[in-house]
Amino acid sequence: MTYLNITEVDSAVTSLATAYPATSELIDLPEPSVEGRAGHALRIGATPAGTHDCAVLIGGVHAREWGSCEILVHFAADLLEAYEAGTGLVYGGTSFTGDQVRKILDELELVVFPLVNPDGRLYSQTVDPMWRKNRDPAQSGGDPDRIGVDINRNYDFLFDFRTAFDPAAAPRVSDDPSDLVYQGPRPFSEPETRNVRWLLDAYPRTRWFIDVHSYSEDMLTVWGDDENQSLDSAQNFLNHVFDHRRGVPGDAYAEYLPKSDADDSKVLAEQFCTGVQGVRGRAYTPMSGFQLYPTCGTSDDYAYSRHRADEHKGKILGFTVEWGDQRGGFHPPWPQMERDVLDVDAGLVQFCVSTLV
Amino acid sequence: MSSTSQPVLRVRVTAQDAETLRALLRDARPDVGGRPRRADDGSCSIEAYATAEQATALEREGVSVTTIENATATGRARQAEVGKGDRFAPADAVPHGLAVKA
Ligand SMILES: [Zn+2]
Repeated sequence: MTYLNITEVDSAVTSLATAYPATSELIDLPEPSVEGRAGHALRIGATPAGTHDCAVLIGGVHAREWGSCEILVHFAADLLEAYEAGTGLVYGGTSFTGDQVRKILDELELVVFPLVNPDGRLYSQTVDPMWRKNRDPAQSGGDPDRIGVDINRNYDFLFDFRTAFDPAAAPRVSDDPSDLVYQGPRPFSEPETRNVRWLLDAYPRTRWFIDVHSYSEDMLTVWGDDENQSLDSAQNFLNHVFDHRRGVPGDAYAEYLPKSDADDSKVLAEQFCTGVQGVRGRAYTPMSGFQLYPTCGTSDDYAYSRHRADEHKGKILGFTVEWGDQRGGFHPPWPQMERDVLDVDAGLVQFCVSTLV
Repeated sequence: MSSTSQPVLRVRVTAQDAETLRALLRDARPDVGGRPRRADDGSCSIEAYATAEQATALEREGVSVTTIENATATGRARQAEVGKGDRFAPADAVPHGLAVKA
């Protein structure tokens, strides 16, 4: 085995849809990437679309975090194969019964989009392995060092960081195209980001969203812009009274998260980590996204913020997996990557099982 | 901080306390991997990706920088572990996950 190239990630999704027509369906993403590549996702479920609550899982957003695509392709393949064969799934010391697998496909809908950023992955796998962003040259002025937008800063959540944050907060985002975390000229300026938004709109019963990244062995919950609190609902991302005050740890402002959502997020993140740890003992940490410095424009915060910004939208609990340890960095040797795939896929199946209780 | 020509090093940046690391991240804006780790002695470290020149510029009072590896060289070596062609092109080639189906 080796890492999948971009043709193979897409081909894997298509092959699964062909092999399991009763339990999966190919989703054509509406927009090609900046360089014109079509994207595909896979809907998994034994019932017609929209019958059950839905979990959307995406990966391959940051180009250099190669293994995220493999984690999601294998996750989908495991569930589809086990359902058809009527078996359970064994990931080292974490195992699931055939009934649990059956319940996931019978009572839940999964949408898996393993490669959000094909142009970036191709560039990382063939030219610069450390490439992170997409390959959009629109803001580069012809300078190759100014190509690309960080898709995970391009969502519409506190996008105007100079207004949203305390000047001392130093959010990990930039409006300079040469920066690794360049947010783009406006929210959803990138077709890759718009494809993810389209999935959340097209599957309105989405209640959970997981974005697979690397590395640091964490399972992150909202919020990323500041510490969480459940006591003062006025302290929230929509309230301009708190502009220029967000993002500093230990001060008066903390982002409001209703206690029930905080509790539900925590339980699911813990369940994910329990599933991971059972495989071979890796201890992932469940925690909120804000650690030392804030972020904005990220997918998990955007997914959760949607129902607060627009009451017609459903509530989605947002999560970010940061798979892999410091030893492996962004590019673990493939044999080590296989162990990470087993870990994370066990965590994801455990997450799905836990949404159903 | 992007560079397409010079090799990128993976370095560990260790600051004497969280506030020192926060100030460094704010001022120098290095590319980082993973999240900050706090040690029992109060020191706080994070992995960063920087050219040799950029790594030197991260050093300051209360901060040490140690090189872990040449990340560009490791990444280039790993590019050889990427599939060629399309292993799923044959009509009967279907991806299998890594779990045991039992
Ligand atoms: Zn990432």
